[in-house]
Amino acid sequence: MSKQITIGPFHPELEESVYFKLEADENRVVTKVNVINGFIHRGMESLVTKKNFMQNLILTERVCSLCSNNHPFTYVLAAEKIAGVQIPLRAEALRVVADEVKRTASDLFNLSMLTHLAHEHDLMKDTLNTRELMQDLKESIWGNRMDMSVNQLTGVKYDLNDETVKTILDTATKVEERVLKLREDYNNSTSFKDKTVGVGVLPHKDALEIGVTGPVARGSGINNDVRVKAPYSLYAIRPELQPKVTLFEEGDVFARAMARFGDILEALRILKDVVSNLPDGKTYLEKRPHIPAGEAVVRTEAPRGELIYYLKTDGSQKPVRMRWKVPTFTNWEALKVMILGDKVDNVTMILNSIDPCISCTER
Amino acid sequence: MSTPPVKLFRINTGSCNGCDVEFVATAFVDKFQISSMNVELVENVEESNLLVITGPLTSKSESFLKKYISKLKKPYAVVGVGTCSISCGIFRDSYSINGPIDKFIDVNVNVAGCPPRPESIAEGIAKGIKVLELKSEGEETPQKIEQILIGFEAPKKFRGRMSLNETICTACRTCETVCPSTAIKITKTQNGFIHNIWHNSCCYCGNCAFFCPTGAIYSTNNFDTVKLQNEKFSDLNTGIINLSTCSSCGESYMPPSSGLLGKAYIHNNLKKLNKSICSKCRKEENFKRMYA
Ligand code: SF4
Ligand code: SF4
Ligand code: SF4
Repeated sequence: MSKQITIGPFHPELEESVYFKLEADENRVVTKVNVINGFIHRGMESLVTKKNFMQNLILTERVCSLCSNNHPFTYVLAAEKIAGVQIPLRAEALRVVADEVKRTASDLFNLSMLTHLAHEHDLMKDTLNTRELMQDLKESIWGNRMDMSVNQLTGVKYDLNDETVKTILDTATKVEERVLKLREDYNNSTSFKDKTVGVGVLPHKDALEIGVTGPVARGSGINNDVRVKAPYSLYAIRPELQPKVTLFEEGDVFARAMARFGDILEALRILKDVVSNLPDGKTYLEKRPHIPAGEAVVRTEAPRGELIYYLKTDGSQKPVRMRWKVPTFTNWEALKVMILGDKVDNVTMILNSIDPCISCTER
Repeated sequence: MSTPPVKLFRINTGSCNGCDVEFVATAFVDKFQISSMNVELVENVEESNLLVITGPLTSKSESFLKKYISKLKKPYAVVGVGTCSISCGIFRDSYSINGPIDKFIDVNVNVAGCPPRPESIAEGIAKGIKVLELKSEGEETPQKIEQILIGFEAPKKFRGRMSLNETICTACRTCETVCPSTAIKITKTQNGFIHNIWHNSCCYCGNCAFFCPTGAIYSTNNFDTVKLQNEKFSDLNTGIINLSTCSSCGESYMPPSSGLLGKAYIHNNLKKLNKSICSKCRKEENFKRMYA
């Protein structure tokens, strides 16, 4: 006897609104997955063509607040590619600083949600409190806990001095210690492992077929980190910064969590390196560029994986077209493989394990 | 006898997830004081009496929001979290936005911010609880509730409520042009201009301050953005920018900023320029200086 089960669209365990209609057998094993989307569709692709290039620096940030630095970052890279401008080296470095700070905070948030959904209260508190260190850092230097408002055409809006560099280094060291300890705690918690090992498995073969990216790919043994495969910005100028990604073969919820720990530790290493070796110079070019007619495609590595921007301009103050391919778009497909044959009670946890960003995907 | 806990249910009507993520932080990080408030997060909207709503209300969410609202039992209180929920903020002009939510439900407390700090979200919840208590006793919602939570501070650099130094603003409209959420409106009057910033539409991005050529507009670290619904449209920063009188011809005119003058007269010592004359008289003066 199969049973219809619905989850959502508004549900405390769902960070973002999505509607699951599942069918399950008498053992509460999922036999059919149907997902209804569209709750977060805000018409962003139309909206960006109504706003000018300056306004879009902020609007792209609101595509998603968790990777809210990657969006404007990729957007300005595309605009600068069309305008053919070379930005100062210091600006490149400052962009990467902001990016790795966001990556760390974003991954820590995902791990907090994971342990929350796995009912591991103590681990959740520890992870969330570690994230708070990053939040405080963002607020004290960039002025907001989520949206850092860092990028602008030809550079960045902020600068660092000796004092703020020291704050970043101190925080990064503290967070690193705590993350190492957390990783150990996750590994030593048998109850957590019981709930996550072998759950929501995405075999290597399916992962390749679907083309998943980011920590989801790394959890299934695939390394397609854009910072390594097609380096951009400072990752291209200083190849030694490229992350040494941690790969796992198991493809389960636990492996994806561990891949994120690897990402965090590398992000902290990059962060410390970049702020300790900040190039001198300007943070942006005084002369604002005219964006001529043109097209560009740019890709970067967001906390959730590969983010692609397509930008088309006609020489006016507004884009003609802007389009995104976001990491969750491909990772979402993998959910069907992960959820099918697993327990109904694991569904929200499996969903969380791809670190879905529905606001990016439905925009 | 202890009072039963307040039952909180959160609805995301299409947020960029910033507000929801910060709601989680507010709920589970001890320093934000929610744990001292006797609130419980519930699974079913039917049991709840405190709704927290985020997002600008996308068209797809509308029917579901209505359905959920119809299941509520009185008395209940509603707290809108994030600029989106109050005015649709940065997404206002989109075809797929049907909000703001107060078209469909009586909102009691608004928490502006993009996203607001957990400290502000916590204050919003505290005020929501206060409204709920009053409602349960059959009382009217008051016009104002004083700050409830104490001891919170913001770092110096925090981007809070925007402010304007009206004496140096030249009404050049740069801020209005770069503002992504149409929070700034500059209107011409007989004696000059009125410069309004609507805090409930502002996404606190600091774009205006960054691009303003005079430094007239700036963010303060004031995070007092938790207001009752009756203050929704009056929570403005209004600056009055007066025209000056030309010391030569007596006409009213808007003086250029020293930044702009500096760009126009790169070879001159700005101090030597007569700054209190209108552009017509300046042209004349320049002509005389060069050819007379
Ligand atoms: S108010 Fe800002 S942070 Fe909150 S949902 Fe709206 S855009 Fe996102
Ligand atoms: S605040 Fe600044 S940008 Fe805005 S009108 Fe005044 S001078 Fe211009
Ligand atoms: S900070 Fe300034 S530019 Fe940004 S939304 Fe507010 S008023 Fe507009």
